[in-house]
Amino acid sequence: MPLLEVKDLRIAYQNPSTGEQMLAVDGVSFKVEPGETLGIVGESGCGKSTLARALMAYCRPGGVIVGGEVLFDGNNILEFTDEQIRELRGRRMAMVPQDPLTSLTYHMKVGPQIDEILKIHQQLGAHAARLSTLKLFEGTNLPTPEKSYGRYPHENSGGQRQRVVIAGALACQPDLLILDEPTTALDTTTEMQVLKLVKELRDRMGTALIYITHDLTLTDYICENVLVMREGKVVERGKATEIFSAPQTDYGKMLVAAIPRVDAAFPEPAPAIDKQEASTATPLLNVENLSYRYAQRWSIDALFNPQQEELAVDNVSFELRRGETLGLVGESGSGKSTIANIVVGLMAPTSGEVAFDGASINMIDKFRSAELRRRIQIIFQDPLSSLNPRRRIESILTRPLKIFFGMSGAAARDRAVELLEDMELSADLLKRFPRQLSGGQQQRVAIARAFTAKPDLILCDEVTSALDVSVQAHVLELLKGIQNKTGAASLFISHDLGVVKQVADDTVVLQKGHIVDAGTTRSVFGDPTHTYTKLLLAAASRREDYADLSTAAPTTAGALRGR
Amino acid sequence: MLVNGKSLGAILTHSPGTTVGVILVSLHLLNALFAPLLIPYGETQLVGQPMLEPGHANFLLGTDVIGRDFLSRLMMGGRTSITVAMVGVLGAVLIGTFFAVSAAYIGGFYDDVIMRIVDTKLSIPGILFVALFVVGFGRSVTVLTIVIGLSYFPGAVRTIRSQAMTQVPLAYVKAARLRGESTLSVIFRELTPNVVEVVVVEFAIRTSSAILIVSALSFLGLGISPPTPDWGLMVSEGVNQIYQAPWLILFPAVFISTLVVGLNFASDGLANALGLDAARGLHGG
Repeated sequence: MPLLEVKDLRIAYQNPSTGEQMLAVDGVSFKVEPGETLGIVGESGCGKSTLARALMAYCRPGGVIVGGEVLFDGNNILEFTDEQIRELRGRRMAMVPQDPLTSLTYHMKVGPQIDEILKIHQQLGAHAARLSTLKLFEGTNLPTPEKSYGRYPHENSGGQRQRVVIAGALACQPDLLILDEPTTALDTTTEMQVLKLVKELRDRMGTALIYITHDLTLTDYICENVLVMREGKVVERGKATEIFSAPQTDYGKMLVAAIPRVDAAFPEPAPAIDKQEASTATPLLNVENLSYRYAQRWSIDALFNPQQEELAVDNVSFELRRGETLGLVGESGSGKSTIANIVVGLMAPTSGEVAFDGASINMIDKFRSAELRRRIQIIFQDPLSSLNPRRRIESILTRPLKIFFGMSGAAARDRAVELLEDMELSADLLKRFPRQLSGGQQQRVAIARAFTAKPDLILCDEVTSALDVSVQAHVLELLKGIQNKTGAASLFISHDLGVVKQVADDTVVLQKGHIVDAGTTRSVFGDPTHTYTKLLLAAASRREDYADLSTAAPTTAGALRGR
Repeated sequence: MLVNGKSLGAILTHSPGTTVGVILVSLHLLNALFAPLLIPYGETQLVGQPMLEPGHANFLLGTDVIGRDFLSRLMMGGRTSITVAMVGVLGAVLIGTFFAVSAAYIGGFYDDVIMRIVDTKLSIPGILFVALFVVGFGRSVTVLTIVIGLSYFPGAVRTIRSQAMTQVPLAYVKAARLRGESTLSVIFRELTPNVVEVVVVEFAIRTSSAILIVSALSFLGLGISPPTPDWGLMVSEGVNQIYQAPWLILFPAVFISTLVVGLNFASDGLANALGLDAARGLHGG
């Protein structure tokens, strides 16, 4: 008998104003045998998280289970009383949610939070619970269980927090563990550590896993079987390795093809006609010994209590030639966004020199000339927040045209339409508000806006990290297209090595504000010299030898997340 | 018209309470607007015996202590206080929006100065401030309007600023700054349209409390001067006759409370429909 069997499950959300029902999960069926690992893959909005919750007989407000069965050990848990469900949750099945910070209580130390689970479900006394918790912490490879026990959630790093949550989920040795995007909020190297841990624990305890993710490479690493979901339906199912290497359906093929693989071949180098000439001229952007220290915000408190913060960027130098793309790679807290903010003028460097086209641009935006501001443009990470929600797309695109070129009326409108066409968007969008667009469309509008200025340098700050994989590939292609068309150079900032490998001519690897590796993308990725680069590459390609590398360079494990 | 993807109709009938509130407020506003055309007698004219009971053949709600038609006075009695409250609060909210948004955007010392002034004002008991102000500058509609504006300004600044603070760090504001928009342009073009919901709700909530304050002042003899009819004033005029003619205070009290309750229901519903926390507005000062 399978441990879990889902039969024709349908879950609908009701639109509060119209009362219409929309199926978020539409006739899903599958089985999980004891000890099996099933991956559920899909892009945002495909219903995978709704499905995960329903497996524990829970629905978000507004959601209704319309039909189907969830059989756990042969019993339909959707018909259980609250009492029976409580009995099941935590003890027989447990869940690890995406964001470990919000799934732990802020005001309690993490140890006692796990104790509580043991006290409730296994009726352990205070002392016994503490001992069990420490054992669990040890089991989840927390470096210092005793110390971790007494820490508050915010005092642990993202990876440590997720380990604590996993320890909690495993506290009662459940038969089924549901992991809902457990590593999406983590850095690549940390992600890999957590994944490895999950894999080890599964093998040791024989727990069945349901692993929900948007990332096919993860399922390839950890799962035996995979379901691919789209718009609430299962579109493909099979062995993980088979789906990853030879997907059968068009959607599956598209998903696999869209993944920017760090172990893929290098893209064909662009015809290097101008580059010979460019290399002798002054670089477009020259950064020398750049350092930045966060100053304390002016406040009455700060006058009495001055504090020195760590350097966010420490003595960084690189140069970017005309028309080229420089990738800036690093995990969160590596200072890559700070560098973008300095170049664009949102911050002034603490020390060092930033030269654009031979002239110093060490000042913030209000001291820069309009011409300089026009020549350097930035595209932000979150497309929705970078477009004013109360302005129509037309206004969003024509406003910079007016400011930079004095264009207005029909001329500006025509230019806006032209830019939208470059981004493969229709002119109908001009009348819409940003919220009425999809994430990918929003980001394409943001790119179009940056190119209204006909910039020489474009800063791309994690421009695709908020997008689905399939959308990401298209947006990157369009970005590359318009960049080639206009000849703009770009400083491409990303934590995703696969993406950088695709787009960048040169790459700089940053760690905690320092440059640890730099050179052409080919040399950095093809023959990494620094351990940290090797570590990043191994983690990104989900390689098993990651473990050996991580012991050699354990520096990132303890680093606190935060930008 | 669509706000946050909801039609105006959907917002105004968001919940049964909201619908009740909107109907009450609409009735009051229509009455205030058209009362001069509808009233049977002049509101200050002596037209009959004093203190005739309601149900009299010529006077539907009877007459007041000196023989004016009570219905006419009731219908006219909200006009002054509603106008004073609305104009005062509108001024407070509009000027407050500018200071709030600019404080949030510019920040630093400017923000500190504005917010400490706001704190200072908020530390003075409201009714005391208003009463002292009226005593100092005299009883007139203008003075009342100004003092209402001054009283509600700090609370409005505080609430609207907190909303603006959520917008300032967003990338669209950075994008505007980086293309060289002036500070004023960022404040008016970019930020202000994104705090409009809070401003509207703030206006609705504060107006109801301002109407209460104006009525209270009139009751104390510090608000609207006789012979202009005003509900608060009418209650105070009727207090001595409470045993002989209870309707003299009952009707104006009902008018005040239906308007205030209606406004509270409506603004609560409005805030809910727009996804804002009305309680914050009510208790924020």
